[in-house]
Amino acid sequence: MKEKNTTVFVVDDDAAVRTSLKLLLRSVGLPVETCVSAQEFLDRFDAERPGCLVLDIHMPAMSGLELQERLNAMHAMIPVVFITGHGDVPMAVEAMQHGAVDFIQKPFRDQDLLDRINQALEKDRDNRAGLRERDNIRARIADLTPREKEVLDLVAAGKANKVIASNLEVSQRTVEIHRARVMEKMRASSLAHLVRMVIAAGEDTPN
Amino acid sequence: MPEGLRARLDLQAVLDAAVEAVILIDENGVIETFNRSAERLFGWTAAEVLGKNVSLLMEGADRTGHDGYLKRFLTTGEAKIIGIGREVPARRRDGSIFPAMLAVGEVQQSNPRRFVGFLHDITLRRQAEEAARQSEARLNHFARLSTMGEMAAGLAHEINQPLTAIATFSQAATRMLSRPEGIEREDLNEALDQITAQALRAGEVIKRLRAFVKIREVRHERVDCRRVVEDSRLLLEADARSNSVQLRLQVADSLPPVTADPVQLQQVLINLVRNAIDATVATPGPHREVVLSAGLDTEGMVEVAVVDHGNGLSTEAAERLFHPFFTTKPGGTGLGLVISSSIIRAHHGRLAYRSTPGGGCTFFFTLPPLGVLPGAESH
Repeated sequence: MKEKNTTVFVVDDDAAVRTSLKLLLRSVGLPVETCVSAQEFLDRFDAERPGCLVLDIHMPAMSGLELQERLNAMHAMIPVVFITGHGDVPMAVEAMQHGAVDFIQKPFRDQDLLDRINQALEKDRDNRAGLRERDNIRARIADLTPREKEVLDLVAAGKANKVIASNLEVSQRTVEIHRARVMEKMRASSLAHLVRMVIAAGEDTPN
Repeated sequence: MPEGLRARLDLQAVLDAAVEAVILIDENGVIETFNRSAERLFGWTAAEVLGKNVSLLMEGADRTGHDGYLKRFLTTGEAKIIGIGREVPARRRDGSIFPAMLAVGEVQQSNPRRFVGFLHDITLRRQAEEAARQSEARLNHFARLSTMGEMAAGLAHEINQPLTAIATFSQAATRMLSRPEGIEREDLNEALDQITAQALRAGEVIKRLRAFVKIREVRHERVDCRRVVEDSRLLLEADARSNSVQLRLQVADSLPPVTADPVQLQQVLINLVRNAIDATVATPGPHREVVLSAGLDTEGMVEVAVVDHGNGLSTEAAERLFHPFFTTKPGGTGLGLVISSSIIRAHHGRLAYRSTPGGGCTFFFTLPPLGVLPGAESH
């Protein structure tokens, strides 16, 4: 599904590199916003805004890696493409280990960068779709009665109806009725689907 | 043998045994005695020069001015060389010139007045001094090369930046030209202007680099410390950036000029800032800053200081800081501070350090402003 107002955020302390990236992205019709420092990006950061981050790994005060660390600590899910120099492979590896989409060495072919940016934007769309799905599931769970919620937890934990009935001190028939209501309210097509939804609802960020 | 003749022969024997060249002249500058060493030194025999004016052994202003010096001394008593001794150029019979150390005295109780000169060839000493000077210059040059080697990563980055910008601007321009919607003239203009500016920027880095590592003669000239800081800025900012350290400059608006070799001062400056950057790399974000300041200290000396907020110096490091080959850095030569300190001493200045309030080190050097000699009371 198409996100509205997708923006490519460029953070680079070098004015010339920053401006050149802005013009390049603009020339292919991608909305772009630039920041001169990691701090400026953090100050302006809005988790609701879809897009991706093109981040220079070398910057004074707060480096690109530090910004990534801060974003990870905030559970921000904006995908990051790192721009690195020639001698920065170890740093780039570290960035990848901390979840960067990719990195690209300066100077680069425009298409190589644009491919990575598109990949990052796609990841952001998937993330946001996953997030919406999770929120939907959570809303459905919130709609269950306390008793239905108890049944859901036990079903998801793999308990048989007979065990659930004895746990909750109700008849098996009653468990079956609750269970049917849970499947319906959760819009689950199968037991496996229901279990997947419960797991997804418990996650901080979608994968 | 008559007493007088015997004494004269003894005197001649003593003079001929002397290592120094001994030349006796009368008040008109005419040579009366020319010993064996003088013969060897100048290539003249005594018989050839006795009765001739001593200026034939001289060179330059002395050769033409010597009669005048003598007259002035005889009438005014104002000595230019008598009782003082100094280095003079001397001329051999074959016209070749050599540096000599000359001491002149007046022969006491002589009428008419006579003067005696003692001199020896100091060519070897001069050569040794020149060799020492050249070897120091080579060492300084080696240190500059080695500094540049350590800064290579940062410099490569500093040239890679404009190259990246140029590549990206030109690729953006190409895409703009092929846009079906038409061309944004403003964007296209900006891209083309920037391509020029960035090519010049890369060239500037290379120019500074070449100026710093070029083999050159030491030149003492009138230098504005602002200019030295400015000349070093590009190279230092490159190094700071590649270490994710912020370099801040605080240079007073007007500073008195100093007499210095600008490249050597730059060498000291770069050495101190590089040390500060190395000390800073390990410290966390907000303190990752090095301040380079230039101003006047309380005694009116020009002070250039480099402030870091690193971990400071260990007791061992503090003690051995200025010892050759002592280093706390892997791959360090241990010569940076030694050479910097000797450069500043040769400029009549002082290089030292103090603790930075709140932690870290401040290395600084002071130089006397132009026309002020250190230790002088007033001018």
